[in-house]
Amino acid sequence: MEPSQGGAGDRELMARLARGDREALAPLMEKHYRRLYRIALSYLRQPDDALDVVQEAFVRAFQSASRWDGSAEAGPWLARITVNLSIDRWRRNRRRAQTFTPLAESDHAASLADLGPSPDRRVQGRETGERLTAALRVLPERQRAVVVLRHYQDMSLEEIASALDMSLGTVKSSLHRALSRMRANLVGGQP
Amino acid sequence: MILAHVRLRRRVSLLAAGALEGPEREETRRHVEACARCREEHDALRAVVAALEADPLREAEPPVPLAFLVGRVEREVAQAHAPAGRPRRWLVALPVGAALLAAAVLVPVLVARLRPAPEAARAEIPPAEASPLLTEDALSRIERNLAREHAARYLSDAGEVLVSVAATGVDCDPADERLDVGRAPERSRELLERRALVVQGGSEAVASARGVLDDVELALREVADLPSCVKRRDVERLRREVEDRQLLMRIRLMTRELEG
Repeated sequence: MEPSQGGAGDRELMARLARGDREALAPLMEKHYRRLYRIALSYLRQPDDALDVVQEAFVRAFQSASRWDGSAEAGPWLARITVNLSIDRWRRNRRRAQTFTPLAESDHAASLADLGPSPDRRVQGRETGERLTAALRVLPERQRAVVVLRHYQDMSLEEIASALDMSLGTVKSSLHRALSRMRANLVGGQP
Repeated sequence: MILAHVRLRRRVSLLAAGALEGPEREETRRHVEACARCREEHDALRAVVAALEADPLREAEPPVPLAFLVGRVEREVAQAHAPAGRPRRWLVALPVGAALLAAAVLVPVLVARLRPAPEAARAEIPPAEASPLLTEDALSRIERNLAREHAARYLSDAGEVLVSVAATGVDCDPADERLDVGRAPERSRELLERRALVVQGGSEAVASARGVLDDVELALREVADLPSCVKRRDVERLRREVEDRQLLMRIRLMTRELEG
């Protein structure tokens, strides 16, 4: 996980948000928006959707700041909001795709493969991205969230359990099942 | 050995995921070394984890500057916290201004009709001075506020257009590396038409925004000239220009200033 720049600073910013101080939004966003964007993008695999989710996550954070437990870290709390919104968005997209034009697998994979920090990495990551998108999209929502937080955010299992409001045992089972299923899709073999 | 295998099977995944620590990790690692089937499974799962770790999305940067995102969030928050049904200030100002104008015209006429024949001295008083409802100052203030509200809305809409272009990731012609910018060119042309009204209608009131308005105009003209399916390098060039001029942040700050 990217280093949080001090829980104390976050706590102060959250306290200001809870009092309705909108000026606290910008510094809080500066600290967390990149990480939240990567969570949403890893989950949804679409930059526009990911950006919408990050925006909504901070709006929710502002609206719910007064209910935030002041002793907790803001980072995992924001991650939880982002994951839940990503799951909502994923469901909505899936319903829409079923109702209207189904998204072609190759189109989706191609748009994913265009994302990356540099052109070189983009080219290198094209094939990886396509295969991962296909393997991740067949996972159940929560398993997918566990994989994203573990392997894209390097969160510990305890942090994941806290962020997703799951027991540690459920996180372990979910990670085990998700990786086994991805193995079957990516490498071959029984899930 | 079989019992240990059953017990440790789930842990093999967690070992591959790098999620085990301490004695648990050591015990599982020893088992994997001793058990060919578990070793095979562990290696296959490590390949999955390696693929995840090589995913370029891990380092993806948000496609828009922070300032723009902050602006969007602040607008959402402001709208969500406005009292229900409360219209924007310019929507209030417009009918109020119209009512005051009507009063300024009608009241003196009605008063004149209802009165007996006016004395010569009073007849010389201009109608505007006879009405205490609307002074020149009040009219100027209303006009100034309206001009600034229009300018703020124009800048805010322009910011949305520029970001929609900069943030697009939708391919319209992958073979030719072209991206879909949707209705952005058309919206830019509409905005450029609105710009003339904004600048002419309130040159004094929006004087402080002139620099931003000029830069926004330049950017909108570039977008207006684009086709809907644009070469990726053109989108990236436009994005760089917007970033170099810090245009989105300046739009946000100026919008806030104009909205008071």
